Formats: sequence, C-alpha cells, structure tokens
Amino acid sequence: MAFIGLIVTFAGFLIAASSVGIMTGTAGRLVMVLAGIAVSLIGILGVLNPAYQKNAIWKK
Amino acid sequence: MTTKKRLIGAVALLWCVAPLTTVLAQAPAPAAAPTTQAATAAAPAAAPAKMITDADIKGIETPSATDKAKGDPSGTITGTASDIPITDPKAGLTLADLVNTVGQNVVATNFVWTLVTGFLVMFMQAGFAIVETGLARAKNANHTMMMNFMVYGVGMAAYWLIGFAIQEGGVGAVANLGGTAPLNHEVTMHLFGKDWGLFGTQGMMLGGATYDVGVMVMFLFQMVFMDTALTIVTGTAAERWRYSAFIISSFIMGAIIYPLFGNWAWGGGWLATLGASYGLGHGYADFAGSGVVHSVGGITALAMAIIIGPRIGKFRRDGTPNAIPGHDITIVLLGCFILAFGWFGFNPGSTLGAATNGNLRISSVAVNTMLAGMAASFSGMYYMWIRYGKPDASMTGNAFLAGLVAITAPSGFVNPMASVIIGVIAGVLVCLSCEFVERVLKLDDVVGAISVHGTNGIWGVIAVGLFADGRSNYAGAWNGVPGSVTGLFYGDAGQLVAQLIGVATLIGFMFTFGFVVNMIVDAVWGHRVPATVELEGLDIPEMGALGYPEFVLRTESTFPE
Repeated sequence: MAFIGLIVTFAGFLIAASSVGIMTGTAGRLVMVLAGIAVSLIGILGVLNPAYQKNAIWKK
Repeated sequence: MTTKKRLIGAVALLWCVAPLTTVLAQAPAPAAAPTTQAATAAAPAAAPAKMITDADIKGIETPSATDKAKGDPSGTITGTASDIPITDPKAGLTLADLVNTVGQNVVATNFVWTLVTGFLVMFMQAGFAIVETGLARAKNANHTMMMNFMVYGVGMAAYWLIGFAIQEGGVGAVANLGGTAPLNHEVTMHLFGKDWGLFGTQGMMLGGATYDVGVMVMFLFQMVFMDTALTIVTGTAAERWRYSAFIISSFIMGAIIYPLFGNWAWGGGWLATLGASYGLGHGYADFAGSGVVHSVGGITALAMAIIIGPRIGKFRRDGTPNAIPGHDITIVLLGCFILAFGWFGFNPGSTLGAATNGNLRISSVAVNTMLAGMAASFSGMYYMWIRYGKPDASMTGNAFLAGLVAITAPSGFVNPMASVIIGVIAGVLVCLSCEFVERVLKLDDVVGAISVHGTNGIWGVIAVGLFADGRSNYAGAWNGVPGSVTGLFYGDAGQLVAQLIGVATLIGFMFTFGFVVNMIVDAVWGHRVPATVELEGLDIPEMGALGYPEFVLRTESTFPE
C-alpha cells in the first residue's frame, strides 16, 4: 500500500504539471491543478500514512 | 578650499553621476538573467540626460592635503572626487574613471548587502538549534544540538560539491551582482512546445570560470538558505534519529533534493518560466522561499515523520497523544527571537541587492516581515488561549515563526495590510495543523516543523497568488515577464495558478522524492535508534556525553497507559 500511496502522490503532480499543456484557459488549468493537489494529498494522507500506521510503534 | 566650492564640486559630481548609466556606452551594463531570487535585467528608470565631458570632470575641485590634515569631524570632505581611483596619473581623473567607479559602487553595495544578509541567515542556525533543543527532552540535548550544529557543515559540503551547480548552474547573469555569467548551462527538456529547465551544471566546487566574485556572493547566500531547509527536518525527527543516518540523509538533501526545487523556482527552471512560456502570471514567484526553503524542509520532514515513526510514549495504546514537553521553554522563545532577527536577512536580502533595479523596496520587505510575525504571534496566542485556557508559550513561538514563514514568499510583492492578514491566518493555521498532524495523522513532530514550515510555507506560496498587489517593480520584470507580480485579488488569476502548480510540485514531486530517498536510507542504514537507546536518551549512546551532565535525568521505561 505504501508503494501505491507514492504512485498516487506522484500522479497528482503529473496531473497538475500537465495542465499547462492540456488546457489553454486559466479556469481549466486551475481545475486541473486543484485536482492534482487533491490527488497528491489523498496519496499521502489517505494511502501512504495509513499504510505506515498499521505497524505503528504504539500499537505493539 | 572653501565650503562653497566643495559644495559646488559635490553637486556637480552628483549631477554627472545620475545620468551616466543611461548616457555612456562604456558603463558596465547590467546583464539579464532568466530568473533569480531577485530582480533581473533592464536598465534603471530613465533620468534626464545631460552630456558631460572630461572637461567637466577636471573642473571638480577636491579637498587639499592641508584640509584633510585638519581632520573631518563633519564628514563633508571625506568621500569626494579625490577618492576615485585614477587609472592614468598623467591624464588625471577621467570620465572612464568616474563611470567605472560608479558601476563598481553599485555592485559593491549589492555585494555588501547580500553578504551581510547572508550572514544573518547563517545565524538563524543558532536559533533553530536552541528552539529544537529546548523543545526536546534534556536527555537528548547533546544529540539534538549536534544535529543542528553539523547540519551546517554537512549541508555546505554537499552544496559545494554538487548542490549549487544543480540549483544555480544555469541561472545566467544576475544583474544586481554584476556578473555570475559563468553560471550558464541549464539542462532542459522539450515538453508541451516549450523548454522545461530541469537542473544546472555549472559551479561544482566553484571551480573553473565560476571562480568569480559574483558567483561567490551567490553561493554564500544560497548556501545558507539551503541549510535552513535541512535543519527543519532535524526538528521533526529529533529524539529518535540515528546520528549517522541524519548525516547521510542531510547530505543527500543538500546535494540533490533541495537544489532541484531551488533550480525550478530560482535557477531558471520550469516553474519560474511558467509565465514566459504559458502565460501564467509571472511564473512561480517565491520571493524569499516559503516554498523553496520552508515547504521543501517541511514536506521532507513529513516524509521523515511517516518513515521514522513516533517517539516511544508519544501515543497511548488507543492512539490518543501524550504531551511530551520540551525541557527549556526559555531557550525556545530566545531561539524564536534569533530566528526573527535572521529573517531580516532572509527576506530583505532576497533582493540580492540594495542599489538600483527597484531594490529600495528592501524597506517594505523588512516591514512586511515584522508585521506578519507580529500578527501571527497574536492570532496563535489567542487561539490557544481561547481553546485551552492559557496562552501556550511554545505554540505562540511557533505561531510567530509560522507568520514569518508565510510572509517569506509574498514579502516582496504585498503591502503591509496584506502582510498582517497573511500573518493572522498563519498563526491560527499552525495551531490547527499541529492538532491535525498529531491527532488525525498520528505523527510525532517534536517541534511542529511540519506545520510551521510545511503548511505555512504552502500558505505563503498561495498568498502570493492572492495578495500580490502589482506595485513592486524590480527592474520592470519578474521571471522574464514585464510588469509586477499581481495576484488574484488585484486581477491576475494566472498568477494563482502558477503558485498552485508550485504547491502541487511540492506536495506531489518533492514529497515523493524525499520519501523515496529516506526510505532507501532507512532500508540500507536504518533511521531509528533501538528502543533501549531511545528510552535512555540519545546523548550517551549516540554522542558519548550528556548535554547536561550535572542534571538528574528522568527516563521513561514503560509505555504510558
């Protein structure tokens, strides 16, 4: 799951960065960039961190 | 020589000097740079031109040796035409002498400004050291202080070897520093119809053509910034980080991780050119490094917090957090003051000059900086007071720092009122973020660095895209785009998009990069000390000596219930 979290996080960056090439209007780019940030946050906070928390030291 | 004559001579000299740079071809012209932390390119604002000749110069009278021998208590005869170096004694003072001296004085002013502010930034290491050590327990004081001490040397070595070349090796000539032209090669990738700058290559070990006075100024200033980013991570991972792993991790961060984003934002890389290439405002604008320095440090700290895990005893078995107070709140707040003092180098120094090219805005930058810190300390203190009944000292200090972090990127582009608003938001934001990191993410951040530097660094980057008022004028352009940086509230939505692409890069790319690097270090070397070492305290097992040998230390041997 940690690996998937990293992939999702990086995918968010790709979405945001590619907005400048895919979209021409500011509004469209803004939507894509915000979507990219959301995807990256999901990758870190929703996938990667929970994967590490499964083996947290305070659970042992 | 009479006072009247001296006055006439001085006025004549000033009258000659003002228009020289626009009139005379032999004046060293400021060269354009693709992007830098400071303004680039373009000539100073035009002044009324008046042709002068060598004959005018010859007419300037200078203080006699007799006058000088009497001393100069009023300072009126020190610093006159007689102090201008003459290249040919037979010809006497010439226009060329005068012009070259003027040019060198502009660059010298900028050199001194940038170097002195760089020295202030270097002193911030002392602030970070005592803030982090004060927030750690006494049994880890030596270890925490040593990490903060050696991160300076480790980071500098890495940056000297390779980091500086990656970050600034393709920046080109920086006008304020009168040179740096040897930093002239940027590796690019052609994508979406444009060249994307990825990293520079010139300046490894400051050899070859980069053995240059302007490059040296640039290196010193950028190096101390880089070290600031590195020391952020030590605060989060304190009290359980193996000292040897810290050295490896910090070296890689100083050599590659930090310089890469530094290049993209300040070294002519693709984020800076989003404006010129794709019409997004003035490209990613980060005046002094809310994103480049603080977010990179905070984001890497977040990666480390996940990898290394919380300290033993930080969380109960049900996942609720225990407070682990630091051992010396007095040095924590003293450290905050030292950091605030250093911030007067961090932000105003990022003009990379005090003379010409709109650099007189250093006063505005300095005032914005202090206002944001003030506003954040108030809002943070009152948040804690209202929520928990007491004005928590460590969180008030963190709020103060959060305000300074948040204003770092916008400080050169916003007005004082916006600075206060940015600071007020930062002070509350850091408190909310600390609670979120601890209670929801269940991460252990000893000093709150993720929230202070990561969260508020990102807030600062976004704030540029909102509050930049379009009134700054750093030589008429920023990142190669004419005009002033202007945010959404002043009519340029494209600037906000550019800033958000920077945020996405920090969260999506820099986090991933930092995480993978530290995950490898963890697998190969191991980040965390054994549990027995952690319970005993890291001072003796890791460093061989206690920070406070005459103290009686209380150690924890069991998990709290």
